[in-house]
Amino acid sequence: MKQAIIKVENLGKQYKKKQALKGISFEVQQGEIFGFLGPSGSGKTTTVKILTSQLIHTTGRVQVLGNDPGRSRRPAFLARIGVLTDNSGLYDRLSVLDNLVLFCRLYGVSEKRAGAVLEAVNLSGDGKTPVGKLSKGMKQRVTLGRAILHEPDILFLDEPTSALDPVNSGRIRETLLEMNRRGTTIFLTTHNMQEAEQLCHRVAFLNNGELSALDTPQALRLRYGDRTITVTTREGSRVIAQNEAGADEVSALMRSGELLAIHSNEPTLGDIFVQLTGRGLE
Amino acid sequence: MLSMRRFKAMVAKEWKDGIRNPHILLNAGMPILLALLFAQKDGDPADLTFLTVPILVAISITGAFVQAAMIAEEKEKNTLRALMLSPATKLEVLAGKSATTVLFALIVIAACIVISGVPDVNIAYLAILSVLLLMIFMALGTVIGLIARTASESSIVGLPVLLFFIFGPIFVPDLDVPVLMNVIRWLPSQQYVVAITELHRDGAFGSIAGQMLNLLAWTALTGALCFLAYGRQRFDK
Repeated sequence: MKQAIIKVENLGKQYKKKQALKGISFEVQQGEIFGFLGPSGSGKTTTVKILTSQLIHTTGRVQVLGNDPGRSRRPAFLARIGVLTDNSGLYDRLSVLDNLVLFCRLYGVSEKRAGAVLEAVNLSGDGKTPVGKLSKGMKQRVTLGRAILHEPDILFLDEPTSALDPVNSGRIRETLLEMNRRGTTIFLTTHNMQEAEQLCHRVAFLNNGELSALDTPQALRLRYGDRTITVTTREGSRVIAQNEAGADEVSALMRSGELLAIHSNEPTLGDIFVQLTGRGLE
Repeated sequence: MLSMRRFKAMVAKEWKDGIRNPHILLNAGMPILLALLFAQKDGDPADLTFLTVPILVAISITGAFVQAAMIAEEKEKNTLRALMLSPATKLEVLAGKSATTVLFALIVIAACIVISGVPDVNIAYLAILSVLLLMIFMALGTVIGLIARTASESSIVGLPVLLFFIFGPIFVPDLDVPVLMNVIRWLPSQQYVVAITELHRDGAFGSIAGQMLNLLAWTALTGALCFLAYGRQRFDK
């Protein structure tokens, strides 16, 4: 049985005038890709900052890799996590390779690893380019490369593909899935529902500092779907309820040979979020 | 505990970045330019001002402003957060920056000495006095870098330090303002100039014991201030 690598119990964070987190609880299992979804200002970044020892929580309990991130011995703890933040934090005057080599040395991994990481983020031809001359998307890929350089046990990613084109987004997702297959647990914060559906084993919805739902994407779709199907005949498409009358209707269409296509009507994660919170994810 | 591996990584990064940073190169170049200007001026070769001022300016400007610019830029570009999310500790980051500042300072001091000449004093005592003064200005530079939000702002925040600590001992003695002179006489920069003058006159350690004590007190005071300010530095509240 897999063990919880992140444990959060009644986590609260009070800023001067705003309560950013209102007692949230969840666990992330080892080897899981966990999606933390919510609109801007919902408390996602605050949660990640607490989990990565950048911020001290006000109430509740947090354990990451068996340690309280705010009180753990920092170098040992930080060597086991990787963080991709929304702000690149790269040295513009240094080359891409120099940026990565610095962190290879700080983490104590072979400098050859920098080359492998450049390959993974599709920047192998840009190693000698000063970071200041890169596009926003390329910088984001360097930052991701830096976060995975030391093959962390847990990878915290904040909108990892937000500035990327579809080709590079796809490549980055493949890299993340490959890392996950090799055992890295991934904590993904995003408001890209499609990305969450493609990558995450489970997702949590965060709204105004509270968790609205937590389950697998499939379970959420089934729970919050309206249990209808869309059938297409030569006369067009129509929605049929999944009940006895609907079954008779579909059966009749099949027997008559009129049925051309049949699709289940599952809501997207975005639809479910709106249904639960009354607000969108953007 | 300081990890030598991470310390060396920080020094290598700071050096590579520093020699490409116009702001740092300007701060390091200014004392050399000043030494060149001083060398053009007709002065009495026995007047120690011509020998001590370029070294004083080299130590103070390089020590304070190169250090301040390096720290302020880490905050400005959000790179300090990335470093703090790595196993590098705050002490290793500060030690890496300080070692690089020392490297810059040594190069600038050497250039200034080549231009201005070596004061005719005991070199060992001169080195001890210079090291103490460099530590004081690096500690002040760290505090300036922590106060400033950007590298450019560090020049503005550091301006009072520049005027008071560096130009005070150079110009105030000629102004004949006793009140101001009473303050200036306690500054480490003034004590440094006085100590070198005393060394030139007497040559014995006893003649500079008072100035040495003053510099040691300033080192302890600014060092404590620096570690207090740096220790309280947070990414978020």
